[in-house]
Amino acid sequence: MIGYVDGTSPLHRAHPYTTLALSGALLFGAFALTRPLEVGLLVLTAVLFAATGRVLRSSAQTALLLSLPIWILLFVLHGLLGAEPRMAFGPVALSVPGIARALVLGGRVTAIVLGFLTALATVSPHRLVEAMTADGVPFGRTFLLASTLTVLPRMRERATQILEAQQCRGLRLGGSIVARLRALGPLALPLVLGALAEVDEQVLALDARGAAGSARRTALDPPPDSRAQHALRWALLALVAAAYAWKFWRMRG
Amino acid sequence: MTALVVLERVTFTYAGAVRPALADVSLEIAAGDVMAVTGESGAGTSTLLLVATGFAPRVVGGTLAGTRRIAARRCGVVFARPWTQLTGLCSTVRDEVAFGPASLGLPRATVLAAARNAMETLHIEQLAGREPSHLSGGELQRVMVAAALAMRPDVLALDDPAAELDPEAADALYDVLPVVAAAGTGVLLATPDSERAGRVATRAVALASGRIVAEGSPAEVLTDTEVARIARAAGCPPPYPWDVPSLLRRVER
Repeated sequence: MIGYVDGTSPLHRAHPYTTLALSGALLFGAFALTRPLEVGLLVLTAVLFAATGRVLRSSAQTALLLSLPIWILLFVLHGLLGAEPRMAFGPVALSVPGIARALVLGGRVTAIVLGFLTALATVSPHRLVEAMTADGVPFGRTFLLASTLTVLPRMRERATQILEAQQCRGLRLGGSIVARLRALGPLALPLVLGALAEVDEQVLALDARGAAGSARRTALDPPPDSRAQHALRWALLALVAAAYAWKFWRMRG
Repeated sequence: MTALVVLERVTFTYAGAVRPALADVSLEIAAGDVMAVTGESGAGTSTLLLVATGFAPRVVGGTLAGTRRIAARRCGVVFARPWTQLTGLCSTVRDEVAFGPASLGLPRATVLAAARNAMETLHIEQLAGREPSHLSGGELQRVMVAAALAMRPDVLALDDPAAELDPEAADALYDVLPVVAAAGTGVLLATPDSERAGRVATRAVALASGRIVAEGSPAEVLTDTEVARIARAAGCPPPYPWDVPSLLRRVER
């Protein structure tokens, strides 16, 4: 499941900046933490983050699915080409430090993807737009960010419609990998061309409704913020900065 | 009446096109006008709307020759495909309709009042709390017309606005147009529905291959109605009656 899911969890109710800050902290934290234990904690934090948003099952499934090819690649690369000592694993001998390295890298990727999917599922694009509008952020930037959050669900919805239409015309989706790859053509082409054609009209429609104007937009229902959330966002920033400082201090040592 | 848009021998060519989409077009739209524009598919009716409202070439690109004067402060456009005009950023119909006035930076109360009035005019108040992407095509089309009206445009251009509507809703929508025009808006209506257009239009133009081939009263121009076709088939001499009352008058004579 990719995209916003209506809900009443603490993450849904939080100010959108707070949820995004938590997701951002996971992302930047992942690059600062390099040891297996640290990465383990990072993954645990990502799991807690998703659980707080009550989207753990759907987000974790998608995160694992998306990061699975990366896990396989990491294990093959680091396991086979990593340094000594090696451990017999069936017919092959895998590098022990290589496997540890693959676990660290795979954990970081999974934590990032899980954090991102949780933010996608719990940050309402509408509330985010209202928050940014209330802060006087120019519409172009607001639209860019909100569109990023909505593009995947929209594309998926469109792809489903196209697939159904193509199946009505006799497209077969099952069979060998080659047959499945062939079936991608009738899906991808209308998906991309249709999206491009509709973008033209949407640009016109937004322009006609004053989106390109210079006036500061009026926020209709800006989400409530609080001092505690404000403080939490600063604390997250400080935490990430501290993680990087720790990383560089260790590297120098 | 004040001229809101004046086109004098205007020719418009889309970027990369060999032939112009509009050629040598002259017309004037004044406050209070409901001008119907008819023509076969590809005749240039949609392009005329874009040129008259200033969106071509400013937004869509292309080259414009001739003289165009737009005195209107604000122009609204509604396209035939309502789903391409959704902002994708609003979670309710009320917010979707209020998007335009909010972009103008008007006070919140004014924005909400404008949205409420527009929804009342289109009889869609009951949709105010619904999610826009969950509406039917007909409901969405009325929402988009309301969204354009909420901007209080001086010129309102509608491209086949009843394409998604059932006959009853189409009648209701066309009935709104004289009311909008009476409030001082110039309405430009591109439509293949000659009968309904004839009922509400004050003037009409017919286009063929981008050129104006007929201009005058609806009775003179909108001759391709069901009634006119029946009269032609029955051997009635021209000018053909274009609606039932004019057919009855002819029969009585």
